[in-house]
Amino acid sequence: MAASLRKKNSIGFVLGKSGAYAVLILGLVATLLPFFYIMVSSLKTTAELRKTPPDFFPEKPTLEHYTTILTDEDIPIVQNLGNSIFVSLMRVIITLFTSSFAGYIFAKYHFKGKNLAFGVILIQIMIPFQVVMIPNYLLVVKLGLIDSLWALIIPAFVDAYGIFMMKQFIEAMPGELMDAARMDGASEFGIYSKIILPQMGPPLASLGIFTFMATWNDYLWPLIVLTSPEKRTIPLLVVWFQTQHVSNQGLVLAASILTLLPIFFVYIFLQRWIVDQATSSAFK
Amino acid sequence: MEISSLFKKEVVSESGKLTAKQRRFAYTSLAPILLYMGLFTLFPILWAVVMSFFSYTPIRQGSWFLGLGGQNPFVGIDNYIELFTGTGKPAEVFRLAVKNTFLFTALVLPLNLVITLPLAVLLESIGERFKTLFRAIYFLPTISSSVALVIIWSYMYAPGWGLLSMMFKAIGLVPPKSWLQDPNTVYFGVPLAMLCVVVAHVWQDFGYNLVIFVAALQSIPKTLREAARVDGASIWQEFWLIVVPLLRRTVLLTSVLTVISSLQVFVIFQLLTRGGPKNQTQTMLLSIYENAFKFANNLGLSAAMSMILFIIILILTVTQFRILRTEWEY
Repeated sequence: MAASLRKKNSIGFVLGKSGAYAVLILGLVATLLPFFYIMVSSLKTTAELRKTPPDFFPEKPTLEHYTTILTDEDIPIVQNLGNSIFVSLMRVIITLFTSSFAGYIFAKYHFKGKNLAFGVILIQIMIPFQVVMIPNYLLVVKLGLIDSLWALIIPAFVDAYGIFMMKQFIEAMPGELMDAARMDGASEFGIYSKIILPQMGPPLASLGIFTFMATWNDYLWPLIVLTSPEKRTIPLLVVWFQTQHVSNQGLVLAASILTLLPIFFVYIFLQRWIVDQATSSAFK
Repeated sequence: MEISSLFKKEVVSESGKLTAKQRRFAYTSLAPILLYMGLFTLFPILWAVVMSFFSYTPIRQGSWFLGLGGQNPFVGIDNYIELFTGTGKPAEVFRLAVKNTFLFTALVLPLNLVITLPLAVLLESIGERFKTLFRAIYFLPTISSSVALVIIWSYMYAPGWGLLSMMFKAIGLVPPKSWLQDPNTVYFGVPLAMLCVVVAHVWQDFGYNLVIFVAALQSIPKTLREAARVDGASIWQEFWLIVVPLLRRTVLLTSVLTVISSLQVFVIFQLLTRGGPKNQTQTMLLSIYENAFKFANNLGLSAAMSMILFIIILILTVTQFRILRTEWEY
């Protein structure tokens, strides 16, 4: 105790502390500066964006690029935003259901072949996407889903990681409630929907947030299966903008910011949860 | 022995109170999920394996069996031989891509650790309130859309007037004329464009390892570090003699995960440098994608490429599970 007190008053300790903050703040600036630069640049006029050397801050901030991309009829951004929202929400809902339901079966039932079945599901975690990328594309073509938003949803019905996570959680739930419900004549599905599901708020929320973010940011698979402009999701729109609108960088910047904002918005409220979840998921 | 184990099994299922009804419920519920896994995971894996032994282009007439055979002939391991020793353009680009992918990974891992480990130690040493705030901000790039981040970095690396060029000028350095497109600027065998991609990727990705290391540091018993401090250890000694050895398993595991993910980076290569200049940032995944979807070449060759990448990743994944299984106690 005395030693730590002495330490707290020493010059070295104070220097160490402020040194720590100095480095951390430097890291903070390095992390935020690129975001910040793009954000302020998106508020510059087209003329200002062309200026060399450019000023860091806009002279007269304007939202013109935002109003242009949101209102120009040649830019299907509203539709593209709608596509991203639709696909993300569908995937969240479906993943939450299949993960919690399959997780429940694996956690609370004992039957022949259970380990084998679970092993089959875990294969999905072990297989990198690029291995199944080409066959899945051919499969989607065969199923007639090319250039359909369902091509992003249907192959993603079952999420092995989600099942794994839910199984862990449900295993820790006591079985007495289930038995009691059974005595009262509840069906097996009723036990899932009335006993298990209501207790699963936190893990479902975590899985939901992660599924949403992953789907919103997904790029490679949509790039492969979507072709027409009005079917694009937001990341595809941004890329298309970047190749088509070289003359109007303001639009590209505004589109990028619009891609980032929904996720930032979710993150502001749920950051602690998201970071904790990312931390624990690495070790399971 | 045999009999007693059989007997035991019976007891377990009795105490599990498994009625036929419940078993039926479990089977009928899982059946669609497993069928689904079969259709969208197992079947595509096998298809990819089989395809890698064929010369296959979807527009050619094949047999009833997945369009293979017929005009899409079985070629044995020719696709693999072509990739390893052939002189075709895709094979030559792929071999370059393998080299580049390993180079990228070899640069990303140490840079990532050099940033995240000290930063985690510093972060762990400050007050709870600031720690949460800093951690949240450092994590921001990892949750952001890679596409938007590529746009951001194309502004950072814009030649002449990009933010990085301006910063170089501000501190009296001469920035390179072109960050991403000059094939002739090479430092210690690493092309400048590759270095730029490494920096952008580490910026995007370091948050993951950082929060993991912070969590691992928090789980180290405080008493250990306090004892070292009481004994007069400097912060430096504390770091090397207490923190590093105790974090060894975490660092090892995170390193494997970082390597696995680095091998599969796509967006930044496809959009920021487009594999260039002169294929200096061409990677395995980019080759697979371009060969299959941009040039619509022999898909069998693409499948063989994905198998090679898969085998590398599989070896790493097995390593990861072995590390996970090792017992650990402070």
